[in-house]
Amino acid sequence: MRLAAPRPMTAAVLVVLASTSAGAQTPALSRTPDGKPNLQGIWQVLNTAAWDLQDHSARLGVPAGQAVVEGNDIPYQPWAVKQKQENFASRATADPETQGYLPGVPRIMYMPFSFQIFQTPTHVAMTFEYAQSVRIIHTNGTPHPRGPINWWLGDSRGRWEGDTLVVDVVHFTNQTWLDRAGNFHSDELHLVERYTMAGPDHINYEVTIEDPRVFTRPWKMSMLLYRRKEPNVRLLDYVPALLMDEEQAARERAKTK
Amino acid sequence: MTTRCAGFTIVLTVLIAPFDAAAQTLPRPPVLAGCPTENLAFHTCALQKAKTFDPPRTPSGRPDFQGYWRSLLTQSFTVEGVAPDDPLATNPFQPWEAAPPEIVEPADRKIPYQPWAAPLGRRGAHFREYIDPRTTCSTGGIPRLSLQDASQILQPATDDHVLWLHEDHHQFRVIAMAQRPAVGRDVKLWNGISRGRWEGNTLVVETTNLNGYVWMDDSGNFYTDTAHLTERLTMIDADTIHYEVSIEDPAAYTRPWKVAWALVRETERGFELIEESCREGERSLPRLREAGLKFYFGATWKNR
Repeated sequence: MRLAAPRPMTAAVLVVLASTSAGAQTPALSRTPDGKPNLQGIWQVLNTAAWDLQDHSARLGVPAGQAVVEGNDIPYQPWAVKQKQENFASRATADPETQGYLPGVPRIMYMPFSFQIFQTPTHVAMTFEYAQSVRIIHTNGTPHPRGPINWWLGDSRGRWEGDTLVVDVVHFTNQTWLDRAGNFHSDELHLVERYTMAGPDHINYEVTIEDPRVFTRPWKMSMLLYRRKEPNVRLLDYVPALLMDEEQAARERAKTK
Repeated sequence: MTTRCAGFTIVLTVLIAPFDAAAQTLPRPPVLAGCPTENLAFHTCALQKAKTFDPPRTPSGRPDFQGYWRSLLTQSFTVEGVAPDDPLATNPFQPWEAAPPEIVEPADRKIPYQPWAAPLGRRGAHFREYIDPRTTCSTGGIPRLSLQDASQILQPATDDHVLWLHEDHHQFRVIAMAQRPAVGRDVKLWNGISRGRWEGNTLVVETTNLNGYVWMDDSGNFYTDTAHLTERLTMIDADTIHYEVSIEDPAAYTRPWKVAWALVRETERGFELIEESCREGERSLPRLREAGLKFYFGATWKNR
């Protein structure tokens, strides 16, 4: 999508959306006892962002997908465009995620695995099936600790702006990518995430990405998180590094037999 | 992209190094919450204290376990204890500390292994031939997880879950307090599936669906994927939890057995859990593999 006047189809869609929301009774937002929107539950994206944040055709093992990046444009500095292209060419082995490492933020949010949100007045915790990752978001007014700190999932401090949870994340490594397509960042990455309930079973997730070392300006992605509603749904585990070891162990056993 | 790599590695190594030491446990005080600190004596005394102590409560009236905790009266060498004349206690390079058993039941304070299983655990075949699974950056498993480093308990006001976060290898335990459909027995997880309930002031957590790929200590003591664990957490004063785990596994033991120790509140001002990445900076694994040690993954009991 380019920045241009809305085409007739977009306008038509907007009209339909507007009339639906006006006609339907909006259910009251579920809230925790302290009055905050209740984000708790098991959530998962239904998109292809983990493979490629931008518009892309199908590739073997990768569904075609539409951009989660606003405007489909990632504003790389000239040197970084080249780096991204090199990353893409060698992605099968160069993507740190192929080593089973923690995938970084925001990538952990759109891995094709479930995660669970827990809320208290002082903390929002997110626990992920993928790589047994955890994000602890401090919502008790405390500031980021002083750096330099290189954490794979950064340091998250949250606050409520009305009914939106706003999370500021810093102190990253330069060792994680944003997707399998080689989109990347440096350790100067700074994120502002916004979590807003968009109905009882959807969270609108927006994240602004800032990194003066790699990009020419801040840019934004947005996507929906879907509530897993199966009556028996539970958070299970997928620990890639250990699954690799287990395969290796099985190969070694087969060889000695 | 790679220019800051070296600096980063140094930071990571510094962060990880202290955690990789075998035992990150606090020294044992002579008295804790008015109880003696030999594990069995503590256990007996704490069960009495638990009857009368009225714990702090959440707004919904549940005992409030929230905050940061560290284990006490623990060592990670062996749940069966280390005698002062143990050869490993006198090893000049990395001496194990002499310590009483964490086992409080049965009376002989030994794991009641079935005959086939005893030579695997207890510094047997596992210890000689396999890499401690925790060294590969797995979870310590239950109950070993709770004796490593700090942890944090969160109790959302919705009362439907208790979340136990562990600094060690960024592990977590989701404890479902509401009735949930059972999970099929072919679904096996490193930390299992946990269901919790309140019995008076005690948080009782039952865990099944374990993959049996973890060890309980550095000595290779183990359970299999048929294990059923029951943890009981009870406050005996505002800063001390009596932690007890009953371990049942009809495939490996002749009877259930129990360990007990304490969790004490971390009161350092501004304390927070930090990210303890592990595999991302792991350097010792290739050396252990070159030395001929094998991956465990339940290899010794899986296809018996």
